[in-house]
Amino acid sequence: MIISPELKEQVYHCIRCGLCLNSCPVYRQLCFEGASPRGKIQLIKKVLEGQLEASDHFGRLLGTCLLCETCSVTCPSGVKLDRIMKSMRAELIKTFGVSWEKRAVFHLLSSSHLLPFMMFWGRTLENPLRLLLPQRGRAGTIPYAKIPRLNAKPLIHQFPEVVTAAGQPKGRVLYFVGCATNYLFENVGRSLIRLLNRLEVEVIIPQEQMCCGFPICLAGARTTALKNIRHNLDLFDPQKVDAVIVDCATCGAALKREYPQLLEEMGEEKAAAAARRLAQKVLDISQYLARFELAQHLKPLTGKVTYHDPCHLLRTQGIKEEPRNVLRSIPELELIEMEGAEVCCGGGGVFQLDHPELASAITAKKIQTIRDTQADMVATGCPGCRLQIHGNLEDDPVEVFHPVELLAKAFS
Amino acid sequence: MPSPEILKDLTNIFGPERCKTAKEDLLTYSYDACIYEFLPEAVVFPKTTKETAALVMLAAANNLFITPRGSGSGLGAEALAKKGGIVICFSMMNRILEINRANRFAVVEPGVIISDLQKAVERLGLFYPPDPGSATVATMGGAVAMNSGGMRGVKYGVTRDYLLGLEIVLPSGEVMNTGTITAKDVTGYDLTRLICGSEGTLALVTRITVRLLPKPKTKRTLQVIYDSIEAAGDTVSNIIAAGIIPATLELMDRMIIKALEESAHLGLPLDAEAILLIDVDGDMENVERQAAQVAEFCKAQGAREIRVSASEKENEQLWTARRSAFGAVARLRPSCLIEDATVPVSVLTTTINKVKEICARNQVQVAVLAHAGDGNLHPLILFDQRDARELARVEKSMDEIVAYALSVGGTLSGEHGIGISKAKYLPQQLSTPSLRVMRTIKKAFDPQGILNPGSFLDWE
Repeated sequence: MIISPELKEQVYHCIRCGLCLNSCPVYRQLCFEGASPRGKIQLIKKVLEGQLEASDHFGRLLGTCLLCETCSVTCPSGVKLDRIMKSMRAELIKTFGVSWEKRAVFHLLSSSHLLPFMMFWGRTLENPLRLLLPQRGRAGTIPYAKIPRLNAKPLIHQFPEVVTAAGQPKGRVLYFVGCATNYLFENVGRSLIRLLNRLEVEVIIPQEQMCCGFPICLAGARTTALKNIRHNLDLFDPQKVDAVIVDCATCGAALKREYPQLLEEMGEEKAAAAARRLAQKVLDISQYLARFELAQHLKPLTGKVTYHDPCHLLRTQGIKEEPRNVLRSIPELELIEMEGAEVCCGGGGVFQLDHPELASAITAKKIQTIRDTQADMVATGCPGCRLQIHGNLEDDPVEVFHPVELLAKAFS
Repeated sequence: MPSPEILKDLTNIFGPERCKTAKEDLLTYSYDACIYEFLPEAVVFPKTTKETAALVMLAAANNLFITPRGSGSGLGAEALAKKGGIVICFSMMNRILEINRANRFAVVEPGVIISDLQKAVERLGLFYPPDPGSATVATMGGAVAMNSGGMRGVKYGVTRDYLLGLEIVLPSGEVMNTGTITAKDVTGYDLTRLICGSEGTLALVTRITVRLLPKPKTKRTLQVIYDSIEAAGDTVSNIIAAGIIPATLELMDRMIIKALEESAHLGLPLDAEAILLIDVDGDMENVERQAAQVAEFCKAQGAREIRVSASEKENEQLWTARRSAFGAVARLRPSCLIEDATVPVSVLTTTINKVKEICARNQVQVAVLAHAGDGNLHPLILFDQRDARELARVEKSMDEIVAYALSVGGTLSGEHGIGISKAKYLPQQLSTPSLRVMRTIKKAFDPQGILNPGSFLDWE
């Protein structure tokens, strides 16, 4: 069993008070207990006690979870529901395996050669291929037409390994470029590097870095992810820099919390120690920017922006005010809070591919709260949320950005 | 498992999605927020009164047991299928149908979450006062069935005080309305208030009309810190005796303070023996005056320190923490029973001391929380359900607490209800004629005994 004795004992600390029920976006949508965090924990308890077989249906119920961690932060008994759920998913994979589609994706993400190779051909063939796709088709909830184009060149290859600052550097950082920035949202990476460069910070971009592996772990394929984790731990030496910077909520969550926890749970003590050392230096870009006086550099940017809290920033990393402060620092940019900014957008990584109807119903609520603000921009620090929100905005003219993109725009 | 014919009929009424019979699904309907478990044979989810009536007719024709359920946050197995049969869960019948500002009432379906209704009416400047600790979990249907009370009881009363009318489905399958939408109504027996608190044994509630109040303009939360629980308890009795009516008056002891601080990090003083959380509400001028009055009063009673929350957000954090007290103490031990014996407020302090003495003598860990203004105690008894000997000591303590509460003129249960956890004590409080009248009422509604069997009147 992958479930550690500590997590097993936690299951008994759920006193079934039900406070998690209505905090759960999935339960709010489906309204039956098996979809709720409490229901899942109680079923896991039965499985661990040998009173219930880890059946197909059990696996399906466990799959109706965004891993948004709202239940874990709501639970007054301190039950770490998301960790128990992730462990159980890993356990289920041993029994049922992974679908071929996901296996293929994980294989790609965990390979240092295949991913760039596929992305190259993806780019080259993209335009002709797009013509072949049915016009009204969707990947999960997202219309094909709203899937962003691949970067012409991976971000990592657009810059030298060390982007030096003019003169004596005021700081030195390692930049962990997530897959999303590297292959899809190059403007985020460019904005980040340009900003740091202007702030006279030296940016080191290890060219051999791999996918953080979190998406693979979340689906339960932990052993597959180990390869990525070990590789990245070797590559990112936190000692020689001020900080290790990430611009992706999920990568940040992986480096700060998931690496140490996962390695501990898997009994990889030596690697866990290295992961803990790395974790201490990892900062989301919004956290790192808080060290600088930004106001003096910024010119006005007119418009109304609303901010969506990514699960992996707010709940996993406890980052709430920093990205808002980045936005607030921009003159004339009006920040309007949406109702329930902290509620998960419904994307949940591959969740939206597995449960398109459920995901789009959850996302529809998010879209409505965005519309209610009448903002013309949404800012969010997670590429997953960005895809999900952008993909479900239909014909709305609202644009979705990473906060650093807006900051870079305002940087004079 | 229902017979194939019954299953076919159930599926015909509800469709396959809203009729669940897989073992995994049934297991998730075998519990509530208490320690008991009973496995139902099927769970169905009506969305309309018509579907509900169709189910009841099917059950009546085939002598099937049906047990109503909302969110499953009950504390005494009231919504569990104690004798098997079908659980009818109202969680998907959850629309707010009307909020009427002109006549200040709202009409809701039973699956609406209490706090959702509160928020919806507050947006319109209205107020639905009943506020059980589980307001963010529990449904309105559950609140009606259990007559839930909660933290604002001291000033605003309980669910029963806000009911104008109900639509119910009788165990025969007939649909019936009780009450009206008017503020006054003395036509016939008050069946609305009979159904309320009947723990789902008389009828299924499918529509609820509640009275609303104008929303108080403002409120202030005082955190009053004490070095002794006696001083805190005495303050409460004296506040009530002095004719001051705060909106809420909550007491928590040292262990609760510690648990809340560990779970919510609010900066509560860990060396305090007790804290009173006091809300005063109303218009600005009144609130200022009352807050000062209460603060002075508490000081005179030996309070060590009085903190007034600086913002609405801080208020919110404090009350959110208070709501999670039940779960927060569960950090300390795996299981937690929440007692709710209620006594006249004048004997609050002696009762708290007695509860502590009983638990100490039986070597049972207890944390004391109370809706103090109502004399409504919530001793939280901590244990490990897997330890049979400890469980026996817990039961003995419960017996003694109940006996003591009754001896000073209190009641078995202030707001959680009887269910099966307190059924055995019923004859200690209710006389033989009283029990006979109740059983006759039950028979009048449900001659076949198909609705929520095994409940407080017939639990063995």
